[in-house]
Order: sequence, then structure tokens, then C-alpha cells
Amino acid sequence: MREGLFIAFSLFTIAAASGVVLSRNPVYSAFSLILSFFGLSGLYLLWGTTFMAMIQILIYTGAIVVLFVFVVMLLNLQVNKESSPNFLIVGISGAAVWFFSLIILRVLTQAIPNTLPAIPTDQIRTISKLLFTRYLWPFEVLSLFLLVMIIAIFAITRTQEIPHGGEKQ
Amino acid sequence: MKFPLSITYWSHFVSVAMFSLGLLGFLLRKNTIVVLMCIELMLNAVNLLLIETSMRTNTPEGIIMVVFVVTVAAAEVAVGLGIVLNLYRMKGTVNLDHFKSLRG
Amino acid sequence: MDWMDLIVTAVKTIVIYLGMVQVVPIMLIVERRGAALIQDRPGPNRVGPFGLFQPIADVIKMMMKEVAVPKQVNKALYILGPFLVLFPASLVIAALPFGDFFTLFDKNYILQVANIDVGILYILAIGSLGIYGILFGGWASNNKFSLIGAMRSSSQIISYEIPLGLAACSAVLWYGTFSLREMVTGQEGTILSVLPNWGIFYQPLGFLLFFVAAFAETNRLPFDLPESEAELVAGFHTEYGPMDFGTFFMAEYMNMATMSGLMVSIYFGGWHLPWISDATLLQWLGSRNLVALIQVLTAVTKIAFFMLVFVWVRWTIPRFRFDQLMRLAWKNLIPLGLINLVITALVLYFKGAA
Repeated sequence: MREGLFIAFSLFTIAAASGVVLSRNPVYSAFSLILSFFGLSGLYLLWGTTFMAMIQILIYTGAIVVLFVFVVMLLNLQVNKESSPNFLIVGISGAAVWFFSLIILRVLTQAIPNTLPAIPTDQIRTISKLLFTRYLWPFEVLSLFLLVMIIAIFAITRTQEIPHGGEKQ
Repeated sequence: MKFPLSITYWSHFVSVAMFSLGLLGFLLRKNTIVVLMCIELMLNAVNLLLIETSMRTNTPEGIIMVVFVVTVAAAEVAVGLGIVLNLYRMKGTVNLDHFKSLRG
Repeated sequence: MDWMDLIVTAVKTIVIYLGMVQVVPIMLIVERRGAALIQDRPGPNRVGPFGLFQPIADVIKMMMKEVAVPKQVNKALYILGPFLVLFPASLVIAALPFGDFFTLFDKNYILQVANIDVGILYILAIGSLGIYGILFGGWASNNKFSLIGAMRSSSQIISYEIPLGLAACSAVLWYGTFSLREMVTGQEGTILSVLPNWGIFYQPLGFLLFFVAAFAETNRLPFDLPESEAELVAGFHTEYGPMDFGTFFMAEYMNMATMSGLMVSIYFGGWHLPWISDATLLQWLGSRNLVALIQVLTAVTKIAFFMLVFVWVRWTIPRFRFDQLMRLAWKNLIPLGLINLVITALVLYFKGAA
């Protein structure tokens, strides 16, 4: 039952990811991205991390892809002939990259036990404790990093009006 | 509740497939915004792999790494889209073929 | 999982979902009569006694009007728009608690579709998906006014998600759990036998933040600019026909009901009666199922009260301008939310250390 659901979500995610890459209209790409994030969230749920599944939907589909859709709509991009790639090239090289990467990954993760452990029950508590004790330093640096990013975004996208009229970037 | 072993293999399959699709899209697409979306696909593939490893070996460090990756990805997308907006203001297009002025 | 569990869960889901959908026709008439009451005029009173059959007339009108799909729209996303708004509005109902549990054939079933262990996070996550219907609907209409309305609405929603999330974060810190059902069971009893042990007495600032953010999240006045009648023709649903308009409104009312349900569960005790505990109710009534009925009635009454407050505020306060709205979110509510979080954390620390 769980394996069946897992296979269904896996195929759905891969189909949506190919929709992102192969789609001509960037709005359709954004929509496929949303679908692939939904599929990923389902995979996280099937692995037992309900927290990460909700975080994935909340942050990725709820904020990041909204940003993408905003920019695509603001720029009012036209769909033209040169924007879709050659499907044959994408197909063959994709298959080759996938094949070799899968082999490398299997070789590197050889110590897989025969049965997998059960889902821990107090996962959120463990993660939060670790975040605030052992990984406090990266956590604080990350919050400073976000602040710097916000200021950087303001600096990059600012337009200044000069007194004679017109704008200077 | 125990896991069947095959979902490890399926997770590897999906993760590597998403990563290769993202890589191909990053190299072959000409629309800058779609290129940024393919970067997001690659990051998500790595997230899936991290979570799978973390749940398989019952260590919470993988999930903490995923939290950090999600945060950094969000910030990076925002800055990247700011740069794309500036490119659009300069040239009126976001087609990567038109940004060749640094080519030697 | 045996068949009885499956059947009871399916029936429970259908009943809860249809119950929440009934909010829409009830609100159609309550809103207009409430508006009329506040504005000192009769309101719709022709269709049926006291105008109570007005929603039937509205729905018949919506279904019978001519549906004209404009030629210049992007067909796929135009048709997808209303579905994308209705889909999250329907999904979030799964986490709302309506009662403790009822007994059927010696097994206890909770009065909730699913006791999700990350309940509040689920509601915030799925609730944030409602933006896409507005964005895609506004963009597919190929109309600059629709696009401006859609942009305004979505930037308003994402701005007010942050104070909503911060208030929810403080509530999670206080109760120590993400699950809504455990938050409600933690509000049982009284404080010093004087006040009921409700969340609002422990988190008053959080409630204020949540209340204001709930208005903005559901695009209700005073944060009504995206669908204001006088400003942008009709906002993002200008190019849509009657039944799609009905779908957008249905999603808005269901979102209102969900926000009311959340406020009731976190801050007003959920299904608990103010000073009477469940044990005394069980003593008086004897049967577990009767207690469950009283609990459901209490929860529904509280949610109905908050819906009335939504209507009341709509026809009392004037509309915010867009920059005032944004300034309120980013410069006033977010610092208040952070202060609330810090105060909650400090109080918990000293309570734990004592």
C-alpha cells in the first residue's frame, strides 16, 4: 500500500519535473514546479516527516514559486519559438546523466541495512533542540544572512529618480 | 511502523531523475527564469536525498541540513529574480542569447 | 484498518465538509440582512419569510446567467483559476476540531476529519495555496485591471501571512504542540475558578494579531482593496462569468469560516463550554454521544459568532488604502508579532524555572 503510493508520487514528481524543463510557456513551467513540489511533499509524508512535508509546501510552493509567478507576470514574457529546447537532446542526455548518477549513488550508499528503522515520534522536538544547542551557530549566521539578502535585494532592484525626470538604476 | 526497503531505491531514482532534469534544463533552456526554476529542482532533489538518508539512519542532522538548504534557496531565488528584473530593464528581454557582452 | 473505521471516516468527512459548505448560503443572506440592519434599511425580504430563501434565488440566478468566455483569455489557466481557489479552501477543513469524540459500536471516533500532528502548520501551508487561484485567474484574463487586482491581492495575502504565522508560532510555543486537538484539550478547566482557561487570556496580543491578519487573509474589509467595487471594476474576477464568481465567493466564505474556526480553537476554547467541564456534562447527560452533540453545537455557535463579527466589521469600518495596508503589515504587525513571541518565550522560561 505504502509502496504503491510511493511509486505513484514518484512518477508524478518526475512527470511534473519534466514539465518544468520541457514547457514552452514560463507560466506553465511555474505551474509544473508547483505540482512537482506537491509530489515531493507527498514523498516526504510517506517517509514519515510530516514536519518537512508541511515546510516544503509552506515555503517552496507558498512563497518561492509565488515569487517566480510574480516576476513572470510582471515581465509579461512572450512565448516564442526559440524558448523550447530540442526534446531529443534533452531526452538522451537526461537518460545518460540519470544512468551514471544512479550508479554512482548506489556505489556510494552501499551500506543499506535490510530493514529500515521506525518513524521517531518526537521528531520536531529533537530537531528544535539540536537547532538551538548544537547547531546554534549556523542558525544565527543564517538569520544574519537573510538580513543581508533583504538589503541586497533592495539595493539591486532600486530605481532612483533624478530631478530632471526619468530614472537611473 | 516500519518501512519497506524499496522506497529507498525509489527515492534514489526520483532524486537522481530530478537532478538530471534540472541540470539539463539549466544548461539547455534560454529563458533566465526557467533556468532559475531548474536550479530549484536540483536543490529539491538534494533535499529528497538528505531526508531519505536521515530517515533511513534515524539521525536528525539530515533534516536540519534540509532546513538550512530551504532557507538559503529562498534567499538565493529572491536575489536571482532581482538580477533578472535588472536584466529585463537593461535589454527588454530575458533570453540568455542576448547577453553576450562578456564573451571574449 | 477495518471496514467500520473506513465507513465512519468517510461519512464523517462528508458530513463535516458539507456542513462547512452550508456556511456559504447562510452567509449570503446573513451578510445582506446584517448590512441592511447596520445601514438602517430592510434588506432582501421578498423571497420567502424574512427573505430566508434569498440564497436559492441567488444560486438559480448564477446558474442561469449566460456564461461568456472572452476570446482573448488563456483558456487552460482561465478555467483552472476557480478550482485553484476552491481546492485549498476545502482542504483546510480537515484539521479543524469540532468536538472530543463520539462512541459507535464500542469504538471512539474523534469529531475531526484527521488529527494531524502538525495541524496548524498544515492549515498555514494549505491556506497559502489560495494565492495561486487569484494569480492565475487574474493573469489568464489578459486584462490589465485584473492583473493589478491579482497582484494587489496576492501581495496583501503574503504580507499578512507573516503576522498570522508569528501569532500561530506563539500559540504553538505556549501549548507545546502543533496539533489543534491538543490545543483545545489543553484549554479545559478554569483559571483560579474565575475565568475559563482559554487561550485569549494567555495570549491577548496574539489574538489581536491573528484577528487583524485573518481579515487580510480572506480579503475582507477593511482590507478589501483587491475586490473593491469602486476602484478596479471588479478586481481580479472582472472577466469571469457568474458561476466562477460564485466559486470565488464560495472560497472566500469558506476561508472566513476556517479562520473563525482557527480563532475559536486556539483562543476561545474550541468545543468547551465556559465554566462547565466535560466531566460534569457527562454526569448530567449520561451518554457520551449527547456530550459530543453539545460540544459540536458549542463549537459551531462560537464559529457563527465570529462570522457575525466579520460581517459587522465589514459594514462599519472604511477601507484601507494599499500603502496603508502594507505599512500596517510590515511596520506594525510584524514587530508586534516578534515581541509577542519573545514575551511568550520569556514567560514560559520563568514558568518552567519556577
